[in-house]
Amino acid sequence: MSPIILAARDIDYVYPGHVQALQGLSLDIEQGRKLAVLGPNGSGKTTLLLHLNGTLRPQRGEILFDGRPVSYQRRALNAWRSRVGLVLQEPDDQLFSASVYQDISFGPLNQGLSALEARERVQLALAALHIEPLADRATHMLSVGQKKRVAIAGILAMRPEVLILDEPTAGLDAQGVAQLLTVLEEQRQAGTTLVFATHDVDLAYTWADGVAVFCDGRVLRQGETVAVLSDRELLHAARLKTPWLLEIVQALGGLEQPPRSQEALLDLLRQFDSHSRHERTYPRRRPFR
Amino acid sequence: MHLTDQHAWTNRWRQHHPAEKLLLAGGLLLCSVTLPPLTTGPVVLLVVWLATVAGAGIPAAALGRVMAVPGAFLLTSMPFLVLSVSSSEGIAFSSQGLETALRVMARSLAAIASMAFLTLTTPVIAWAPLLRRLGVPQPIVEIMLLIYRLIFVFAEQTVTTSQAQAARLGYDGIRRSLHSLGLLVASLLERSLARMRRLEIGLAARNFDGELRVLQPIYELSPWRIALIGSALLTVAAVGLLGNQLLAKVMT
Repeated sequence: MSPIILAARDIDYVYPGHVQALQGLSLDIEQGRKLAVLGPNGSGKTTLLLHLNGTLRPQRGEILFDGRPVSYQRRALNAWRSRVGLVLQEPDDQLFSASVYQDISFGPLNQGLSALEARERVQLALAALHIEPLADRATHMLSVGQKKRVAIAGILAMRPEVLILDEPTAGLDAQGVAQLLTVLEEQRQAGTTLVFATHDVDLAYTWADGVAVFCDGRVLRQGETVAVLSDRELLHAARLKTPWLLEIVQALGGLEQPPRSQEALLDLLRQFDSHSRHERTYPRRRPFR
Repeated sequence: MHLTDQHAWTNRWRQHHPAEKLLLAGGLLLCSVTLPPLTTGPVVLLVVWLATVAGAGIPAAALGRVMAVPGAFLLTSMPFLVLSVSSSEGIAFSSQGLETALRVMARSLAAIASMAFLTLTTPVIAWAPLLRRLGVPQPIVEIMLLIYRLIFVFAEQTVTTSQAQAARLGYDGIRRSLHSLGLLVASLLERSLARMRRLEIGLAARNFDGELRVLQPIYELSPWRIALIGSALLTVAAVGLLGNQLLAKVMT
Protein backbone atom coordinates (compact mmCIF):
# COMPACT_ATOMS: atom_id res chain seq x y z
CA MET A 1 0.00 0.00 0.00
CA SER A 2 1.30 3.43 -0.94
CA PRO A 3 1.78 6.02 1.81
CA ILE A 4 -1.24 8.15 2.61
CA ILE A 5 -0.59 11.73 1.58
CA LEU A 6 -3.86 13.35 2.55
CA ALA A 7 -6.57 12.09 4.89
CA ALA A 8 -9.81 13.20 6.49
CA ARG A 9 -10.48 11.85 9.98
CA ASP A 10 -14.06 11.73 11.18
CA ILE A 11 -14.96 15.22 9.99
CA ASP A 12 -18.27 17.03 10.42
CA TYR A 13 -19.42 20.09 8.55
CA VAL A 14 -22.74 21.86 8.91
CA TYR A 15 -23.63 24.76 6.62
CA PRO A 16 -25.32 27.79 8.11
CA GLY A 17 -29.02 27.00 8.18
CA HIS A 18 -28.37 23.58 9.71
CA VAL A 19 -27.69 21.74 6.49
CA GLN A 20 -25.53 18.82 7.52
CA ALA A 21 -23.08 18.36 4.64
CA LEU A 22 -20.51 16.03 6.19
CA GLN A 23 -21.09 13.68 9.07
CA GLY A 24 -18.22 11.68 10.52
CA LEU A 25 -16.47 11.43 7.19
CA SER A 26 -13.13 9.64 6.85
CA LEU A 27 -11.12 9.30 3.68
CA ASP A 28 -7.57 8.22 2.79
CA ILE A 29 -5.77 9.48 -0.29
CA GLU A 30 -2.86 7.27 -1.27
CA GLN A 31 0.12 8.83 -2.95
CA GLY A 32 0.46 8.34 -6.71
CA ARG A 33 -2.91 6.68 -7.21
CA LYS A 34 -6.20 7.61 -8.82
CA LEU A 35 -9.06 7.85 -6.35
CA ALA A 36 -12.68 8.36 -7.38
CA VAL A 37 -15.03 9.88 -4.83
CA LEU A 38 -18.28 8.44 -6.03
CA GLY A 39 -21.63 9.73 -4.90
CA PRO A 40 -25.01 10.95 -6.13
CA ASN A 41 -25.70 14.62 -6.80
CA GLY A 42 -26.08 16.74 -3.71
CA SER A 43 -24.35 14.25 -1.45
CA GLY A 44 -21.73 16.74 -0.30
CA LYS A 45 -18.87 15.78 -2.63
CA THR A 46 -17.94 19.39 -3.35
CA THR A 47 -18.02 20.22 0.37
CA LEU A 48 -15.58 17.39 0.97
CA LEU A 49 -13.22 18.61 -1.76
CA LEU A 50 -13.29 22.12 -0.30
CA HIS A 51 -12.02 20.61 2.95
CA LEU A 52 -9.13 18.93 1.16
CA ASN A 53 -7.47 22.22 0.22
CA GLY A 54 -8.41 24.13 3.34
CA THR A 55 -11.18 26.27 1.84
CA LEU A 56 -13.55 24.96 4.49
CA ARG A 57 -12.50 23.99 7.97
CA PRO A 58 -14.12 20.97 9.61
CA GLN A 59 -16.20 21.69 12.70
CA ARG A 60 -15.15 18.37 14.16
CA GLY A 61 -12.41 15.93 13.22
CA GLU A 62 -9.27 16.82 11.31
CA ILE A 63 -7.47 16.81 8.00
CA LEU A 64 -4.06 15.14 7.95
CA PHE A 65 -1.45 16.08 5.37
CA ASP A 66 1.63 13.85 5.30
CA GLY A 67 0.28 12.30 8.48
CA ARG A 68 0.26 15.58 10.41
CA PRO A 69 -2.76 17.70 11.30
CA VAL A 70 -2.91 20.74 9.05
CA SER A 71 -2.64 24.35 10.16
CA TYR A 72 -5.04 27.03 8.90
CA GLN A 73 -2.53 29.87 9.24
CA ARG A 74 -2.19 31.91 6.09
CA ARG A 75 1.35 30.76 5.30
CA ALA A 76 0.56 27.13 5.99
CA LEU A 77 -2.57 27.38 3.85
CA ASN A 78 -0.56 28.74 0.94
CA ALA A 79 1.96 25.92 1.21
CA TRP A 80 -0.91 23.42 1.41
CA ARG A 81 -2.66 24.83 -1.65
CA SER A 82 0.60 24.83 -3.58
CA ARG A 83 0.83 21.09 -3.00
CA VAL A 84 -2.88 20.27 -3.33
CA GLY A 85 -4.49 21.76 -6.44
CA LEU A 86 -8.27 22.00 -6.67
CA VAL A 87 -10.07 22.35 -10.01
CA LEU A 88 -13.66 23.54 -9.61
CA GLN A 89 -16.50 22.01 -11.59
CA GLU A 90 -17.48 25.23 -13.37
CA PRO A 91 -14.44 26.68 -15.19
CA ASP A 92 -16.04 30.14 -15.32
CA ASP A 93 -15.77 30.19 -11.52
CA GLN A 94 -12.03 29.87 -11.81
CA LEU A 95 -10.98 31.81 -14.91
CA PHE A 96 -10.85 35.47 -13.97
CA SER A 97 -8.45 36.82 -16.54
CA ALA A 98 -9.22 38.09 -20.02
CA SER A 99 -6.48 36.02 -21.60
CA VAL A 100 -5.67 32.33 -21.30
CA TYR A 101 -1.96 32.94 -20.88
CA GLN A 102 -2.46 35.45 -18.08
CA ASP A 103 -4.90 33.23 -16.27
CA ILE A 104 -2.48 30.31 -16.19
CA SER A 105 0.33 32.57 -14.98
CA PHE A 106 -1.68 33.61 -11.89
CA GLY A 107 -0.88 30.61 -9.65
CA PRO A 108 2.89 30.43 -10.33
CA LEU A 109 3.27 34.18 -9.70
CA ASN A 110 1.38 33.82 -6.40
CA GLN A 111 3.83 31.08 -5.45
CA GLY A 112 6.49 33.75 -5.64
CA LEU A 113 8.15 32.59 -8.84
CA SER A 114 9.92 35.10 -11.07
CA ALA A 115 8.33 36.16 -14.34
CA LEU A 116 10.86 34.02 -16.20
CA GLU A 117 10.08 30.89 -14.20
CA ALA A 118 6.37 31.60 -14.43
CA ARG A 119 6.60 31.83 -18.22
CA GLU A 120 8.26 28.44 -18.29
CA ARG A 121 5.56 26.97 -16.04
CA VAL A 122 2.83 28.41 -18.27
CA GLN A 123 4.46 26.92 -21.38
CA LEU A 124 4.75 23.51 -19.74
CA ALA A 125 1.15 23.59 -18.51
CA LEU A 126 -0.07 24.60 -21.97
CA ALA A 127 1.92 21.72 -23.46
CA ALA A 128 0.69 19.22 -20.85
CA LEU A 129 -2.92 19.93 -21.78
CA HIS A 130 -2.18 20.26 -25.50
CA ILE A 131 -3.63 23.75 -25.64
CA GLU A 132 -0.67 25.77 -26.93
CA PRO A 133 -2.79 27.25 -29.75
CA LEU A 134 -5.13 28.75 -27.15
CA ALA A 135 -2.39 30.70 -25.36
CA ASP A 136 -3.19 34.09 -26.87
CA ARG A 137 -6.94 33.62 -27.02
CA ALA A 138 -9.53 35.50 -25.02
CA THR A 139 -10.97 33.40 -22.19
CA HIS A 140 -14.56 34.23 -23.10
CA MET A 141 -14.19 32.91 -26.65
CA LEU A 142 -13.41 29.35 -25.58
CA SER A 143 -15.75 26.37 -25.59
CA VAL A 144 -16.64 24.66 -22.31
CA GLY A 145 -14.15 21.86 -22.94
CA GLN A 146 -11.39 24.35 -23.73
CA LYS A 147 -12.20 26.41 -20.63
CA LYS A 148 -12.02 23.28 -18.56
CA ARG A 149 -8.57 22.48 -19.84
CA VAL A 150 -7.39 26.03 -19.23
CA ALA A 151 -8.72 25.79 -15.66
CA ILE A 152 -6.76 22.57 -15.15
CA ALA A 153 -3.64 24.11 -16.73
CA GLY A 154 -3.92 27.00 -14.26
CA ILE A 155 -3.66 24.49 -11.41
CA LEU A 156 -1.04 22.25 -13.04
CA ALA A 157 1.22 25.28 -13.56
CA MET A 158 1.56 25.32 -9.76
CA ARG A 159 2.97 21.76 -9.83
CA PRO A 160 0.69 20.25 -7.19
CA GLU A 161 1.47 16.81 -5.79
CA VAL A 162 -2.24 16.09 -5.45
CA LEU A 163 -4.66 17.16 -8.15
CA ILE A 164 -8.30 17.26 -7.08
CA LEU A 165 -11.01 17.63 -9.71
CA ASP A 166 -14.71 18.23 -9.09
CA GLU A 167 -16.79 16.43 -11.73
CA PRO A 168 -14.04 16.76 -14.35
CA THR A 169 -16.10 15.26 -17.17
CA ALA A 170 -19.30 17.27 -16.58
CA GLY A 171 -20.30 19.18 -19.68
CA LEU A 172 -17.72 17.53 -21.94
CA ASP A 173 -18.53 15.53 -25.07
CA ALA A 174 -17.19 11.99 -25.54
CA GLN A 175 -14.05 13.19 -27.30
CA GLY A 176 -13.48 15.85 -24.68
CA VAL A 177 -13.72 13.24 -21.94
CA ALA A 178 -11.25 10.95 -23.72
CA GLN A 179 -8.74 13.78 -24.20
CA LEU A 180 -9.09 14.87 -20.60
CA LEU A 181 -8.51 11.35 -19.29
CA THR A 182 -5.40 11.02 -21.45
CA VAL A 183 -4.01 14.25 -20.05
CA LEU A 184 -4.77 13.20 -16.48
CA GLU A 185 -3.18 9.80 -17.04
CA GLU A 186 -0.02 11.56 -18.25
CA GLN A 187 -0.02 13.55 -15.04
CA ARG A 188 -0.36 10.43 -12.95
CA GLN A 189 2.52 8.80 -14.82
CA ALA A 190 4.55 11.84 -13.85
CA GLY A 191 3.78 11.07 -10.23
CA THR A 192 0.78 13.27 -9.43
CA THR A 193 -1.87 11.86 -7.11
CA LEU A 194 -5.33 12.27 -8.62
CA VAL A 195 -8.65 12.60 -6.83
CA PHE A 196 -11.87 13.19 -8.68
CA ALA A 197 -15.43 13.53 -7.54
CA THR A 198 -18.02 12.06 -9.87
CA HIS A 199 -21.43 10.45 -9.99
CA ASP A 200 -20.42 8.46 -13.08
CA VAL A 201 -19.88 4.87 -11.91
CA ASP A 202 -18.70 3.72 -15.36
CA LEU A 203 -15.98 6.37 -15.40
CA ALA A 204 -14.90 5.44 -11.87
CA TYR A 205 -14.86 1.74 -12.76
CA THR A 206 -12.74 2.04 -15.89
CA TRP A 207 -10.42 4.71 -14.60
CA ALA A 208 -9.84 4.73 -10.86
CA ASP A 209 -7.43 2.59 -8.82
CA GLY A 210 -9.52 3.07 -5.73
CA VAL A 211 -13.07 4.19 -5.02
CA ALA A 212 -14.71 5.85 -2.05
CA VAL A 213 -18.48 5.54 -2.13
CA PHE A 214 -19.98 8.59 -0.62
CA CYS A 215 -23.51 9.23 0.50
CA ASP A 216 -25.29 11.62 2.86
CA GLY A 217 -22.09 13.16 4.12
CA ARG A 218 -20.21 9.96 4.89
CA VAL A 219 -17.91 7.56 3.08
CA LEU A 220 -19.80 4.27 3.16
CA ARG A 221 -16.84 2.26 1.94
CA GLN A 222 -13.41 2.89 0.49
CA GLY A 223 -11.31 0.26 -1.23
CA GLU A 224 -10.12 -1.28 -4.48
CA THR A 225 -12.33 -0.35 -7.41
CA VAL A 226 -13.56 -3.80 -8.43
CA ALA A 227 -14.22 -4.98 -4.90
CA VAL A 228 -16.18 -1.88 -3.94
CA LEU A 229 -18.18 -1.57 -7.15
CA SER A 230 -19.14 -5.26 -7.09
CA ASP A 231 -21.06 -4.62 -3.89
CA ARG A 232 -24.61 -4.20 -5.16
CA GLU A 233 -26.21 -3.44 -1.83
CA LEU A 234 -23.69 -0.73 -1.11
CA LEU A 235 -24.27 0.96 -4.45
CA HIS A 236 -28.00 0.76 -3.99
CA ALA A 237 -27.73 2.35 -0.57
CA ALA A 238 -25.72 5.18 -2.13
CA ARG A 239 -28.32 5.69 -4.90
CA LEU A 240 -25.82 4.54 -7.54
CA LYS A 241 -25.99 1.80 -10.15
CA THR A 242 -23.56 -1.00 -10.95
CA PRO A 243 -21.14 -0.15 -13.80
CA TRP A 244 -22.41 -1.66 -17.06
CA LEU A 245 -19.26 -3.74 -17.56
CA LEU A 246 -19.73 -5.38 -14.17
CA GLU A 247 -23.44 -5.75 -14.85
CA ILE A 248 -22.67 -7.84 -17.94
CA VAL A 249 -20.00 -9.91 -16.22
CA GLN A 250 -22.30 -10.61 -13.30
CA ALA A 251 -25.13 -11.57 -15.66
CA LEU A 252 -22.78 -14.05 -17.35
CA GLY A 253 -22.01 -15.69 -14.05
CA GLY A 254 -19.17 -13.56 -12.70
CA LEU A 255 -15.42 -13.67 -13.18
CA GLU A 256 -12.44 -13.67 -10.89
CA GLN A 257 -10.91 -10.70 -12.72
CA PRO A 258 -13.65 -8.80 -14.51
CA PRO A 259 -12.62 -6.71 -17.55
CA ARG A 260 -11.99 -3.05 -16.76
CA SER A 261 -12.64 -1.64 -20.22
CA GLN A 262 -14.87 -2.18 -23.21
CA GLU A 263 -11.88 -3.54 -25.20
CA ALA A 264 -11.05 -6.05 -22.48
CA LEU A 265 -14.65 -7.23 -22.44
CA LEU A 266 -14.70 -7.60 -26.23
CA ASP A 267 -11.46 -9.61 -26.15
CA LEU A 268 -13.00 -11.86 -23.58
CA LEU A 269 -16.13 -12.32 -25.66
CA ARG A 270 -14.06 -13.11 -28.77
CA GLN A 271 -12.19 -15.84 -26.91
CA PHE A 272 -15.49 -17.18 -25.67
CA ASP A 273 -16.88 -17.02 -29.19
CA SER A 274 -13.96 -18.90 -30.77
CA HIS A 275 -14.29 -21.68 -28.20
CA SER A 276 -17.98 -22.15 -28.81
CA ARG A 277 -17.60 -22.11 -32.59
CA HIS A 278 -14.85 -24.67 -32.52
CA GLU A 279 -16.90 -27.44 -34.08
CA ARG A 280 -18.56 -25.39 -36.80
CA THR A 281 -17.53 -25.69 -40.41
CA TYR A 282 -18.16 -22.27 -41.92
CA PRO A 283 -15.05 -20.12 -42.28
CA ARG A 284 -14.41 -17.78 -39.41
CA ARG A 285 -13.46 -14.20 -39.85
CA ARG A 286 -9.70 -13.94 -40.08
CA PRO A 287 -8.25 -12.74 -36.83
CA PHE A 288 -6.30 -9.52 -36.98
CA ARG A 289 -2.67 -9.92 -38.09
CA MET B 1 -19.52 45.00 -28.76
CA HIS B 2 -18.91 41.28 -28.90
CA LEU B 3 -17.82 41.44 -32.55
CA THR B 4 -15.62 44.48 -32.04
CA ASP B 5 -13.95 42.70 -29.17
CA GLN B 6 -13.43 39.60 -31.25
CA HIS B 7 -11.62 41.60 -33.93
CA ALA B 8 -9.43 43.22 -31.30
CA TRP B 9 -8.31 39.77 -30.16
CA THR B 10 -7.79 38.22 -33.56
CA ASN B 11 -6.60 40.94 -35.96
CA ARG B 12 -3.20 40.78 -37.65
CA TRP B 13 -1.85 43.68 -35.58
CA ARG B 14 -2.81 42.29 -32.16
CA GLN B 15 0.84 41.59 -31.33
CA HIS B 16 2.00 45.09 -32.23
CA HIS B 17 2.92 47.37 -29.39
CA PRO B 18 -0.20 49.23 -28.16
CA ALA B 19 1.81 52.45 -27.90
CA GLU B 20 2.31 52.34 -31.67
CA LYS B 21 -1.44 52.11 -32.22
CA LEU B 22 -2.04 54.82 -29.66
CA LEU B 23 0.46 57.03 -31.49
CA LEU B 24 -1.28 56.52 -34.82
CA ALA B 25 -4.80 56.94 -33.44
CA GLY B 26 -3.84 59.90 -31.25
CA GLY B 27 -1.95 61.57 -34.10
CA LEU B 28 -4.84 61.14 -36.49
CA LEU B 29 -7.26 62.46 -33.86
CA LEU B 30 -5.09 65.49 -33.33
CA CYS B 31 -4.90 66.13 -37.10
CA SER B 32 -8.66 65.80 -37.53
CA VAL B 33 -9.38 68.19 -34.69
CA THR B 34 -6.81 70.88 -35.47
CA LEU B 35 -6.29 70.91 -39.25
CA PRO B 36 -8.71 72.14 -41.95
CA PRO B 37 -11.41 69.46 -41.93
CA LEU B 38 -12.54 69.41 -45.55
CA THR B 39 -9.18 68.17 -46.80
CA THR B 40 -7.81 66.47 -43.67
CA GLY B 41 -10.98 64.49 -42.97
CA PRO B 42 -10.94 62.39 -46.15
CA VAL B 43 -7.19 61.68 -45.81
CA VAL B 44 -7.64 60.56 -42.22
CA LEU B 45 -10.47 58.26 -43.30
CA LEU B 46 -8.24 56.86 -46.02
CA VAL B 47 -5.37 56.21 -43.58
CA VAL B 48 -7.74 54.56 -41.08
CA TRP B 49 -9.13 52.38 -43.83
CA LEU B 50 -5.62 51.40 -44.95
CA ALA B 51 -4.50 50.63 -41.40
CA THR B 52 -7.64 48.80 -40.25
CA VAL B 53 -8.72 46.94 -43.35
CA ALA B 54 -5.56 46.55 -45.43
CA GLY B 55 -3.15 46.45 -42.49
CA ALA B 56 -4.83 44.71 -39.57
CA GLY B 57 -7.07 42.64 -41.83
CA ILE B 58 -10.34 43.67 -40.21
CA PRO B 59 -13.36 43.54 -42.56
CA ALA B 60 -14.51 46.97 -43.76
CA ALA B 61 -18.00 46.06 -42.56
CA ALA B 62 -16.75 45.84 -38.98
CA LEU B 63 -15.20 49.27 -39.26
CA GLY B 64 -18.48 50.57 -40.67
CA ARG B 65 -20.43 49.01 -37.80
CA VAL B 66 -18.29 50.65 -35.15
CA MET B 67 -18.70 54.02 -36.86
CA ALA B 68 -22.41 53.58 -37.53
CA VAL B 69 -23.76 54.50 -34.11
CA PRO B 70 -21.90 57.80 -33.60
CA GLY B 71 -22.33 58.38 -37.35
CA ALA B 72 -26.10 58.14 -37.00
CA PHE B 73 -26.10 60.77 -34.25
CA LEU B 74 -24.03 62.95 -36.52
CA LEU B 75 -26.45 62.62 -39.43
CA THR B 76 -29.48 63.48 -37.35
CA SER B 77 -27.87 66.73 -36.27
CA MET B 78 -26.95 67.80 -39.79
CA PRO B 79 -30.29 69.41 -40.80
CA PHE B 80 -29.99 71.89 -37.94
CA LEU B 81 -26.71 73.12 -39.34
CA VAL B 82 -27.80 73.28 -42.99
CA LEU B 83 -31.09 75.06 -42.32
CA SER B 84 -31.14 78.44 -40.71
CA VAL B 85 -34.08 79.95 -38.91
CA SER B 86 -34.64 83.68 -38.89
CA SER B 87 -37.62 85.94 -38.26
CA SER B 88 -37.49 87.49 -41.72
CA GLU B 89 -37.11 84.43 -43.93
CA GLY B 90 -38.47 81.66 -41.72
CA ILE B 91 -36.72 78.36 -42.26
CA ALA B 92 -34.20 78.67 -45.06
CA PHE B 93 -31.42 76.73 -46.68
CA SER B 94 -28.10 78.53 -46.45
CA SER B 95 -24.93 77.77 -48.40
CA GLN B 96 -22.88 78.88 -45.44
CA GLY B 97 -24.80 76.42 -43.32
CA LEU B 98 -24.04 73.69 -45.82
CA GLU B 99 -20.33 74.42 -45.61
CA THR B 100 -20.43 74.38 -41.81
CA ALA B 101 -22.28 71.08 -41.91
CA LEU B 102 -19.70 69.56 -44.24
CA ARG B 103 -16.87 70.71 -42.02
CA VAL B 104 -18.46 69.32 -38.89
CA MET B 105 -19.21 66.10 -40.69
CA ALA B 106 -15.66 65.65 -42.02
CA ARG B 107 -14.08 66.51 -38.69
CA SER B 108 -16.33 64.25 -36.62
CA LEU B 109 -16.14 61.29 -38.95
CA ALA B 110 -12.35 61.49 -39.04
CA ALA B 111 -12.18 61.65 -35.25
CA ILE B 112 -14.59 58.74 -34.85
CA ALA B 113 -12.60 56.70 -37.36
CA SER B 114 -9.33 57.29 -35.49
CA MET B 115 -10.89 55.93 -32.32
CA ALA B 116 -12.56 53.07 -34.16
CA PHE B 117 -9.15 51.97 -35.41
CA LEU B 118 -7.86 51.86 -31.85
CA THR B 119 -10.78 49.88 -30.41
CA LEU B 120 -10.79 47.41 -33.29
CA THR B 121 -7.08 46.59 -33.16
CA THR B 122 -6.21 46.68 -29.45
CA PRO B 123 -7.37 43.89 -27.11
CA VAL B 124 -8.06 44.73 -23.49
CA ILE B 125 -4.96 42.98 -22.13
CA ALA B 126 -2.78 45.34 -24.16
CA TRP B 127 -4.40 48.27 -22.35
CA ALA B 128 -3.56 47.11 -18.83
CA PRO B 129 0.21 47.69 -18.89
CA LEU B 130 -0.29 50.90 -20.82
CA LEU B 131 -2.76 52.24 -18.24
CA ARG B 132 -0.40 51.27 -15.43
CA ARG B 133 2.39 53.20 -17.12
CA LEU B 134 0.09 56.18 -17.51
CA GLY B 135 -0.30 56.18 -13.73
CA VAL B 136 -3.68 54.48 -13.25
CA PRO B 137 -3.59 52.65 -9.86
CA GLN B 138 -3.30 48.88 -9.95
CA PRO B 139 -6.63 48.17 -8.16
CA ILE B 140 -8.52 50.24 -10.74
CA VAL B 141 -6.90 48.34 -13.61
CA GLU B 142 -7.67 45.03 -11.89
CA ILE B 143 -11.31 45.94 -11.38
CA MET B 144 -11.54 47.07 -14.98
CA LEU B 145 -10.17 43.76 -16.26
CA LEU B 146 -12.33 41.71 -13.90
CA ILE B 147 -15.45 43.58 -15.00
CA TYR B 148 -14.46 43.04 -18.61
CA ARG B 149 -14.18 39.30 -18.02
CA LEU B 150 -17.45 39.12 -16.09
CA ILE B 151 -19.39 41.10 -18.70
CA PHE B 152 -19.16 38.12 -21.00
CA VAL B 153 -20.13 35.63 -18.30
CA PHE B 154 -23.20 37.69 -17.42
CA ALA B 155 -24.06 38.41 -21.04
CA GLU B 156 -24.13 34.67 -21.63
CA GLN B 157 -26.23 34.15 -18.52
CA THR B 158 -28.65 36.86 -19.59
CA VAL B 159 -29.08 35.37 -23.04
CA THR B 160 -29.67 31.82 -21.81
CA THR B 161 -32.01 32.88 -19.01
CA SER B 162 -34.11 35.09 -21.27
CA GLN B 163 -34.23 32.33 -23.88
CA ALA B 164 -35.44 29.92 -21.21
CA GLN B 165 -38.08 32.44 -20.18
CA ALA B 166 -39.17 32.97 -23.77
CA ALA B 167 -39.44 29.20 -24.23
CA ARG B 168 -42.04 29.25 -21.47
CA LEU B 169 -43.89 32.18 -23.07
CA GLY B 170 -42.44 34.69 -20.63
CA TYR B 171 -42.29 37.46 -23.20
CA ASP B 172 -45.82 37.24 -24.54
CA GLY B 173 -47.28 40.70 -24.19
CA ILE B 174 -46.01 43.77 -22.37
CA ARG B 175 -47.25 42.89 -18.90
CA ARG B 176 -45.68 39.46 -18.92
CA SER B 177 -42.49 40.79 -20.54
CA LEU B 178 -42.04 43.33 -17.77
CA HIS B 179 -42.67 40.68 -15.15
CA SER B 180 -40.17 38.29 -16.76
CA LEU B 181 -37.61 41.04 -17.11
CA GLY B 182 -37.90 41.77 -13.40
CA LEU B 183 -37.36 38.12 -12.57
CA LEU B 184 -34.40 38.02 -14.95
CA VAL B 185 -32.71 40.96 -13.25
CA ALA B 186 -33.37 39.50 -9.81
CA SER B 187 -31.93 36.13 -10.80
CA LEU B 188 -28.88 37.77 -12.32
CA LEU B 189 -28.17 39.62 -9.11
CA GLU B 190 -28.49 36.50 -7.04
CA ARG B 191 -26.37 34.44 -9.39
CA SER B 192 -23.73 37.13 -9.61
CA LEU B 193 -23.32 37.06 -5.86
CA ALA B 194 -23.12 33.27 -5.80
CA ARG B 195 -20.64 33.32 -8.66
CA MET B 196 -18.53 35.89 -6.89
CA ARG B 197 -18.28 33.61 -3.86
CA ARG B 198 -17.25 30.66 -6.03
CA LEU B 199 -14.70 32.78 -7.88
CA GLU B 200 -13.20 33.65 -4.54
CA ILE B 201 -12.83 29.94 -3.74
CA GLY B 202 -11.26 29.34 -7.15
CA LEU B 203 -8.80 32.18 -6.69
CA ALA B 204 -7.97 31.08 -3.14
CA ALA B 205 -7.10 27.63 -4.49
CA ARG B 206 -4.36 29.39 -6.44
CA ASN B 207 -2.99 31.30 -3.44
CA PHE B 208 -4.76 34.60 -4.15
CA ASP B 209 -3.50 37.18 -1.66
CA GLY B 210 -5.37 40.30 -2.69
CA GLU B 211 -3.53 41.19 -5.85
CA LEU B 212 -4.34 39.72 -9.26
CA ARG B 213 -0.78 39.23 -10.46
CA VAL B 214 -0.48 37.91 -14.00
CA LEU B 215 2.21 37.89 -16.63
CA GLN B 216 1.90 40.84 -18.95
CA PRO B 217 2.24 40.21 -22.66
CA ILE B 218 5.55 41.33 -24.13
CA TYR B 219 5.28 43.78 -27.01
CA GLU B 220 8.22 45.11 -28.94
CA LEU B 221 8.40 48.58 -30.37
CA SER B 222 9.44 48.44 -33.99
CA PRO B 223 11.51 51.44 -35.17
CA TRP B 224 10.39 51.09 -38.74
CA ARG B 225 6.72 50.90 -37.81
CA ILE B 226 7.10 54.05 -35.72
CA ALA B 227 8.84 55.74 -38.66
CA LEU B 228 5.99 54.62 -40.91
CA ILE B 229 3.39 56.01 -38.50
CA GLY B 230 5.36 59.27 -38.27
CA SER B 231 5.53 59.68 -42.00
CA ALA B 232 1.84 58.79 -42.36
CA LEU B 233 0.94 61.50 -39.86
CA LEU B 234 3.19 64.02 -41.62
CA THR B 235 1.60 63.14 -44.95
CA VAL B 236 -1.88 63.59 -43.49
CA ALA B 237 -0.90 66.98 -42.07
CA ALA B 238 0.75 68.08 -45.33
CA VAL B 239 -2.16 67.00 -47.53
CA GLY B 240 -4.58 68.60 -45.10
CA LEU B 241 -2.81 71.95 -45.09
CA LEU B 242 -1.68 72.18 -48.72
CA GLY B 243 -4.94 70.79 -50.01
CA ASN B 244 -6.79 73.43 -48.07
CA GLN B 245 -4.77 76.22 -49.73
CA LEU B 246 -5.44 74.69 -53.12
CA LEU B 247 -9.12 74.43 -52.30
CA ALA B 248 -9.22 78.06 -51.24
CA LYS B 249 -7.64 79.09 -54.59
CA VAL B 250 -10.11 77.03 -56.58
CA MET B 251 -13.05 78.44 -54.66
CA THR B 252 -12.03 82.08 -55.30
